[in-house]
Amino acid sequence: MTEPFIELFSAPLTFNWTLSFRCNFSCQHCYSREEMSDELSTEENFRVIDVLAEQQVPFINFGGGEPLLSADLYKIAAYAVSKGLNPSMNSNGWLLDESAAVRLKEVGFRSVGISLDSAKADLHDDFRCMPGAYDRAVNALQALQKVGLRSTLSAVISRINYKNFRDILDLARENGVAQVYLHNFKCSGRGFKNREELDLTPQEWKAFYIEALAVKNETTDIDISFDDPVIASLPGYAENSLVKGSSCGKLSLHLRPDGHITPCGFIPLVVGHILRDDFQTLWQKSPILVKMRNKEAKGKCGDCGSFESCLGGCTARAFATTGDFSEPDPHCWV
Amino acid sequence: MQRLKRNPDIVWRVEKQREASVLKALEAGSDPGEQGTVLLIVSGTMHQLNMIGGTIWQSVDGSRSQKQLVDLLAAEYDVDRAELETDVCLFIEDLIQRGWLIYD
Repeated sequence: MTEPFIELFSAPLTFNWTLSFRCNFSCQHCYSREEMSDELSTEENFRVIDVLAEQQVPFINFGGGEPLLSADLYKIAAYAVSKGLNPSMNSNGWLLDESAAVRLKEVGFRSVGISLDSAKADLHDDFRCMPGAYDRAVNALQALQKVGLRSTLSAVISRINYKNFRDILDLARENGVAQVYLHNFKCSGRGFKNREELDLTPQEWKAFYIEALAVKNETTDIDISFDDPVIASLPGYAENSLVKGSSCGKLSLHLRPDGHITPCGFIPLVVGHILRDDFQTLWQKSPILVKMRNKEAKGKCGDCGSFESCLGGCTARAFATTGDFSEPDPHCWV
Repeated sequence: MQRLKRNPDIVWRVEKQREASVLKALEAGSDPGEQGTVLLIVSGTMHQLNMIGGTIWQSVDGSRSQKQLVDLLAAEYDVDRAELETDVCLFIEDLIQRGWLIYD
């Protein structure tokens, strides 16, 4: 309909908001389980909503930590809806029974994502280090379906599930899920510590994505999303994306429980504070964001024909493993 | 009289910086091309509307008929009325077919 955006958006489209790092699970890959942070008061969180509404940020996605452990979740989400924002959340599903689903729907959540990493209960429970996690997650999906609230399913692709992702899609179908996110593995937090055990090799990632893209392209009853810039070099990849490379810092930002803003949950670099700093100054001029948006082609990216498409792949992974945004994504197979 | 409105499921916003740069280009007499000034998020996919499309989108709020929309644009843009009417009609038909605009 028009030319692609080639410059900066006037504000992020999504704020990924961690209200608290508290969690009732202790997952093997978690980026935030070791994190600790002060938390904003209810009144301060309302002021955050005011800032986001003023900046016309359309979407907020609560993650964490387990959002349902935050006493303020419903109040904050309701206030966000009253200001024209569209809230969604990601949960492990443990606390999401039918009454919670009803409440989430009444408050105005647009969708709720449930983490499910395997169609096999024992594998999911083991990965999430929580016996019974699988059953509670499936129950949560069923509760959402029953109350008519759109659900999504998030699976972190790792060594435990990459060969069986089709079973996860079937599980989603059986439970009325609208969209499945096959998330790429991030080597942050525990994901960094356990990466040798859980992460795939670059060639395994390539084989996975070739297969998964083929499945995506032939699937019509369910949306399959990857959100991994490293796949831009593969044949069959035809995402309608407004930005190239990582979307962090271009389409989205992450908000920590104390109000500090980071480019994404996996990059622990603070660009400023949502309540203390002028947002437009941060968004347009933060040296961290500017650097992320203008990556150099370092290392093997220097003479790679795919760099213009993938912009070096996932910035968070490059930063976690090398300390440099512009180094190649360690998942890259080229 | 049938009035059109935006599908309430579509999330959208005006890209203020882009709009300002397009307006600046128009004022300077240069062609801003098809640069998008209004961003739509439809079922998770992003789309953009150019300046005139964006103006129509912002004006389709359930209070105007198609003829009133043409009147509004004719007052704002110095273009041939018949041509404008045809273009607006085609654009609106397209958005109705997509389900982005609905009759109130």
